[in-house]
Amino acid sequence: MLLRLLPWLAAAWLMAIGIYGMITSRHYVHLIGCLSVVQSGTYVVLLAIGFVWHAGPPIFYDHPPGTPAVDPVMQALVLTDVVVGAAVSALLLALALQLHKRRQTLDPEELEPVP
Amino acid sequence: MNPLQWIPMPVVVPLLAAAFALLAEKLVPRRVVDALAVLVCAAVCVACMWLAHASAHAPLAYWYGEWGPTRGPVLGISFVVDSAGAGASAFIAGLFALTFLFVWHYFEEVRAHFHALMLMFCAAMIGFCLTHDLFNIFVWFETMSVIAFALTGYRLEDAALEGALNFTVINTVGSFLMMAGVGLAYAATGALDMALVGKILAERHADVLACGAFVLMSAAMLIKAAGVPFHFWLPDAHAVAPSPVSVIFSGVMVPVGLFGLGRLLTIVFAGVPAVASLAHGLLVPLGAVTAIIGGFMALQQTHVKRLLAYSTVSHVGVMLAALSLITVHGTAGWLLYMLGHGMVKACLFMAAGMLAAVLDSVDEFELYGRARGRPVLACCFFVAGLCLAGFPIGIMGSGAEAVEGAAKLTGDDWLGPIIIISSATTGGAVLRAGVRIFLGKGELPANKSPLPNESERGDRPWLLMLLPALVLVFANVSAAMPLERMARAAAATFVHMPVWDVLSGKQAYATAAVPAEASGGEFSGWLAVGIALVIAAAQLFLPGLLKNRVLWPAHISIRGLRALHAGRVGDQVAWLAAGLAMLTAGIVAMSVLH
Repeated sequence: MLLRLLPWLAAAWLMAIGIYGMITSRHYVHLIGCLSVVQSGTYVVLLAIGFVWHAGPPIFYDHPPGTPAVDPVMQALVLTDVVVGAAVSALLLALALQLHKRRQTLDPEELEPVP
Repeated sequence: MNPLQWIPMPVVVPLLAAAFALLAEKLVPRRVVDALAVLVCAAVCVACMWLAHASAHAPLAYWYGEWGPTRGPVLGISFVVDSAGAGASAFIAGLFALTFLFVWHYFEEVRAHFHALMLMFCAAMIGFCLTHDLFNIFVWFETMSVIAFALTGYRLEDAALEGALNFTVINTVGSFLMMAGVGLAYAATGALDMALVGKILAERHADVLACGAFVLMSAAMLIKAAGVPFHFWLPDAHAVAPSPVSVIFSGVMVPVGLFGLGRLLTIVFAGVPAVASLAHGLLVPLGAVTAIIGGFMALQQTHVKRLLAYSTVSHVGVMLAALSLITVHGTAGWLLYMLGHGMVKACLFMAAGMLAAVLDSVDEFELYGRARGRPVLACCFFVAGLCLAGFPIGIMGSGAEAVEGAAKLTGDDWLGPIIIISSATTGGAVLRAGVRIFLGKGELPANKSPLPNESERGDRPWLLMLLPALVLVFANVSAAMPLERMARAAAATFVHMPVWDVLSGKQAYATAAVPAEASGGEFSGWLAVGIALVIAAAQLFLPGLLKNRVLWPAHISIRGLRALHAGRVGDQVAWLAAGLAMLTAGIVAMSVLH
């Protein structure tokens, strides 16, 4: 039972510490890292949903179709999630870089708020 | 001509045009790309209107690769066109066409990248409105978000960068929540087709997975739609984005988030009683709070784009409340309100863009009296301001009346005054700014710290900038009657889509009958306009009014509200987490009650 709950607990933990990190972050690059931690939580959720005990990968090259395999739909979703995460992280880091060039700081507290 | 084969075209054609714009930018003159973008969006708008007409009596389902339900388990992805989805798509494409006219000559130096991004943005929003698959809706949600991030940070200026960063961070958390929610829905049902998920959830008792899926997905939609307390990103993003991008953000992107929430409430979770009671018990009041907070924040702003952004928050609140009633009348009301608000707000953002282009500022004190010689723009601005204030002529006014009538039918009479407050505060703020900018009247504070200039490319044809704004105001005022009929018919299909029957071949709406009119009457509209005028006059000529000893509680609460909205990105994430906790607590309470 605990073993079955473990991935859900791990996912909830990853999301919670990721969000905590974002709330307390004093550096945008650190904050973007925390965002990736939150995203890792979603990976774990999706993989846990698709997981089947004692089953192989959903590739039927060397064993016949019909043998137990984990759910390929969830793996496709994770793949999409990874791509999205990469695109967003790249965009965020590029924005952070431009911001640092202009303001010489990446601390959200030091950046003047818009009135 | 078989309409079925044409269903993917509104998404495919803009995507192809975007690719062509990038490929051909060095080969063909700039004007060709400009014209292509306008033509493509106009054509898509016409095609979507035709689809709306073709789906008036039965929804049209298109299965990609013909992987439909006839082949055993549903693995395929479908677009299902109903009048509401196709109508919203037509509005989106039409607004993009007008925006492309508005930006003629705007982005000379960045070549066709802007056009490519905007065309993909258009395709993503239309895909979001037409798709019938939970994972596919996430894909369009994410496409829409990433393009929006890129468009916000486009100008690479200080404020734009910070606004874009915060916008990206908050909305990305939203898409992760959505992703996890889609996963939970799949875990609960083993399906991703919205109708099939809805059917399976309706047939059995709601469990932890289904409730979790709703909390996560609705939080994601509320982040996109900027409901309190998920709304903090919106003013930052709208204020710093180039004005044509703000037109699209306020006019369609934010309301489209509500469209997604509507799909969740009426299709996916329609058979889960806890979700229906949560919508009525929590989302309707949440909409009302959003409407009030947005309105009072709008009154405090002098930066015109920021003012308009807060007014969008307020109006989205009204739409959220109307949508969460989950009745045909409520839905008709918010569809109509969405159209009217989209037109009026797009026009106002275009006016702000024109001010930035010719006078290099969007601050009402900097612009004080400097736009006196522009009567047409002034007319446009004031008429739009009056529409925002609830002027009971025009689409937005009819929408407000319809929402009020719908609220009365479900016993939520208290929504009426909320709509009046929302209209009066936002309209009053816009009219006050208009009087300062175009008439040069009203008090001017002595010690005003200068703001950085906000200039946008000024040597564009003035007439081409003015034309789309005029078209929008004129359409809002004159096209109310036919659009009202269409919205009412579309609402019936939106709420009562016999979801699974549609896909398995019995293609007809459950209730094709258009419900009778339920209207709150014109009185509220006139009352709201009156209050808006009083508010505008008070702000213009009695600036010290709130410091008065009798009114100090109002003064203190407004200062508190402003302090809340001055938070950094960390505070915004904290509010997001609080909102998520609130939704979770709500669904737990509702499940226990059932």
